[in-house]
Amino acid sequence: MSSNDELWDAIVFAERDKVVNIVQNAVDTDADVIELLNETMIPALREVGDQFSAGEVFVPEMLASARAMQSAIDIIAPLLEKSGHKPIAKVCIGSVKGDLHDIGKNLVAIMLKGSGFVVDDIGVDCAVEDYEAAVERGAEVVCLSALLTTTRDAMRPVADHFRDRSDIKLVVGGAVITQEFADEIGADGFGVDAADAIRAVRECLGLPGSAA
Amino acid sequence: MPMTSRERVLATINHEEPDRVPIVIGVSNATGIKMKPYRGIKNLIGVDAPDDYIYDWPELGTALIDEVTMQRLHNDVRGVLDLEPESVREWNRQREPHSDYVDSWGSGQSEIGPDDWFPNVHPLPDATTIADLDAYEGWPDMNDPTRIAHVKEAAQRLADDYEYAILATPWLLFPFERAHAMQGMDVFLLNMIDHPDFAKALMERIAEYCKQLMGHFLEELGDNVDIIKIGDDLGTQKSLMISPRMYRRFLKPIHADFISFIKERTSAKVFFHSDGDVAPLIDDFIEIGVDILNPIQTNAGTMSDLPTLKKRFGNNIVFCGAIDTDQVLPLGSVADVRAEVRRVIDTLGPGGGCMIGAVHTVMNDVPPENVLAMVDAVEEFGQYPLR
Repeated sequence: MSSNDELWDAIVFAERDKVVNIVQNAVDTDADVIELLNETMIPALREVGDQFSAGEVFVPEMLASARAMQSAIDIIAPLLEKSGHKPIAKVCIGSVKGDLHDIGKNLVAIMLKGSGFVVDDIGVDCAVEDYEAAVERGAEVVCLSALLTTTRDAMRPVADHFRDRSDIKLVVGGAVITQEFADEIGADGFGVDAADAIRAVRECLGLPGSAA
Repeated sequence: MPMTSRERVLATINHEEPDRVPIVIGVSNATGIKMKPYRGIKNLIGVDAPDDYIYDWPELGTALIDEVTMQRLHNDVRGVLDLEPESVREWNRQREPHSDYVDSWGSGQSEIGPDDWFPNVHPLPDATTIADLDAYEGWPDMNDPTRIAHVKEAAQRLADDYEYAILATPWLLFPFERAHAMQGMDVFLLNMIDHPDFAKALMERIAEYCKQLMGHFLEELGDNVDIIKIGDDLGTQKSLMISPRMYRRFLKPIHADFISFIKERTSAKVFFHSDGDVAPLIDDFIEIGVDILNPIQTNAGTMSDLPTLKKRFGNNIVFCGAIDTDQVLPLGSVADVRAEVRRVIDTLGPGGGCMIGAVHTVMNDVPPENVLAMVDAVEEFGQYPLR
């Protein structure tokens, strides 16, 4: 097993056309796309996330790499499904009631997809029932996003709703969310930024914070 | 002998110690108070005044503070604002209830709940070329006289009173944020990577309109202004939104040119609003002529390190704001608010160069008691010489 350096760099430097070409070529030549995903795409996007956390790249670069990754995932998703590739888990994600901010939420969604999860993105302004419906569709982890002090409290009813469901994990994040707030509402995990959110989701499922 | 508010502010922005630390609140959106806490404050102090909105713009949600309340807040500045053209205001007054508010640039807000409007009307989401900008028919008419018809008299009245410092804020002459409004934030940020020449051209075009209006506005103000507020949000909770390199390549020349334009026309100080952790850019701001930095978002990354900010930049820039709206004002007790005001004053206050206010707008989740506790604590702990 080895990584594809060209694809790795193309994801890190957000060269979407190049990413698409390499991945499409891999598909056309029956290359092992699961290996490509696990050995190259996931760690490459994680590198971008780590650089973002470290303040080495910023929002535009992160958005562009995530978009390149999304294009690649779109190409290989049908093949993964057909090959019986088992996702790590199904995760739903949405911005809470009253909050229409979605850039951070979208970034986390792409990072999750790129990290081997199936993502049910339920959008913005999500009510408790929207999260419940996603759980009924099979989500094991519920991710809540809020940007504003005036909307963070909308996380509480969702947390209350799933409080007795030990099979459902709750992960929270967003500009105004802190570990203290996450603890207070009884969330299972808190991600300080997009890369950290992936760690939080993995850890609340009992997995190591980063994939081997 | 106590100073007048204006003397207090002028001493502070000239890096001298006045009689007490000045208070800046309620004179623009970013220093403003939303309607719910404003109503609460009026109720607490027994003031009967109308629920008016700044910029004559209810969807923005920020209260126009009456003079009695202003005085109770010990506020040392008074605001002069512009207005959207009368035709735009009239159109918005007459539009279908609950339909989108649209401003003179073609950007706007949708209603997401009672008194809650979200900025998601973006007129140029697909633009990627300069030809697209040329083809756009919705650019604002900055020569419309109804934008500024009231400005001369309003500023003159304040100047005649000679009591308060005058802080003037034409609405959102912020090239980077205006570009977000025109395209959507994520779309524009991606265009900075995909179409850098276009992204720069869009902000330059916006800046030309900003200068046009600012020129008219300054002409009306004449000498009756102490502080001009501009800005652009550049920080996030942890860091910058764009890299310092990208800021210096795309935006710094635009800000520098805008500030030069202002300083060629007025001796007023330039007040620059930028949310989040912008500490890595403060040297740049000083270099291009920013005099006052706001809001000093103390819960964002390195902006939390007030001693270092004071030590590194305190001789060259005035700090305005710094009372946390994330935890302390909405969630803290009166005692917490008082302790935070004292901490900020003790750190940023020595030698002048510090004005206290909330970090951005006092939002609807802030108890009115905490707003009064904030300003009363400045009265108590902000007397020079500091104890």
